[in-house]
Amino acid sequence: MKFFDMHVHSAFSEGESSVMQLAQRAKELGYAGICFSEYFEGRARLEQLKAETAAAQRATGIEILLGFEARNTQELRRLVELRRMFDVLLAHGGDIAMNRAAVETREVDILTHPEHGRYDGGMNHVMARLAKENGVAIELNFREILTSNKKTRSRVLENMRDNVALARKYKAPIIVCSGAVSHAELRDPLSMTSMAQLLGMTPVEAKTALSSVPQSIFDKAGKRKDGKWVMPGVEIVK
Amino acid sequence: MKVLPSTQRGKHRYVRFQVLSEEQVEFSDLDAALWNTALDFYGERGVAGMDLWLVKNLYDSSKQIGIARCAHTAVPALLACMGLLARLGDVRVAVKILKVSGTIRGLGKN
Repeated sequence: MKFFDMHVHSAFSEGESSVMQLAQRAKELGYAGICFSEYFEGRARLEQLKAETAAAQRATGIEILLGFEARNTQELRRLVELRRMFDVLLAHGGDIAMNRAAVETREVDILTHPEHGRYDGGMNHVMARLAKENGVAIELNFREILTSNKKTRSRVLENMRDNVALARKYKAPIIVCSGAVSHAELRDPLSMTSMAQLLGMTPVEAKTALSSVPQSIFDKAGKRKDGKWVMPGVEIVK
Repeated sequence: MKVLPSTQRGKHRYVRFQVLSEEQVEFSDLDAALWNTALDFYGERGVAGMDLWLVKNLYDSSKQIGIARCAHTAVPALLACMGLLARLGDVRVAVKILKVSGTIRGLGKN
């Protein structure tokens, strides 16, 4: 079974490790692919990032995708306009308006940590249904658990459990990611799927969240590059 | 004391793992960190049900490969706990799970 980590920050945005260090550690841990989720800072930086990820892919042999994370609704609209220039679009969840905008936008692949900084899960049944319709995966971010403790961690886990239950009820895709900002924060795939099981997922659901769901995002990114993709739901068939 | 018949013994699973770190990690630090992480996450009652044990004489300090034992129902709990191990003192660590088996022999060699 192939595992993928779709939310990793390198030193290009808020990370501490280089693209190569992260790719090497991901390969060491047994991942088949990772996605760097950075913040968009202009086309020159984009080309530099593409060059580095291509070099890391050649050196390690794992698949590497380039993603950008929108931090607010304004940035989300801008990244949707630039959608063809990169592989994966993530939306930084936590704010209700941002969570709602993300699940309503078909170009978005992942809504990251919708419960971030909140006393609730940041999702309701309407958003779960929209996530299912628009193919937006709801993220369980391991770093949110790793970097909290005591009461905060209990609340984070509780909110994640609520999101798992909602996503299961309305059949929205769930994805498990490390959210790592350094190579030392990348986690073994089995540890991540085990944590997902503790949050109420079955073993099959947990493995799907780390393999099939990110694989489908990789496949979509591949179609986007091959020239047949026009917009979400529209493809050229010769 | 007489050994329990095999049908009355607890069912265990053994996990072979490797510690990835920038500096050498001693067994005593790893043992303390794993227990503290488990206790913080699951509490005393939760850890009591895990039957957790880190096998001392099977820890290879040069390759940093060790074997942990747990109850057969507690494997996801142990693996999640290993995922929560982020630091041993000042050293940042990550745990790579190599194999899970019902016997130490079934884990194979390092």
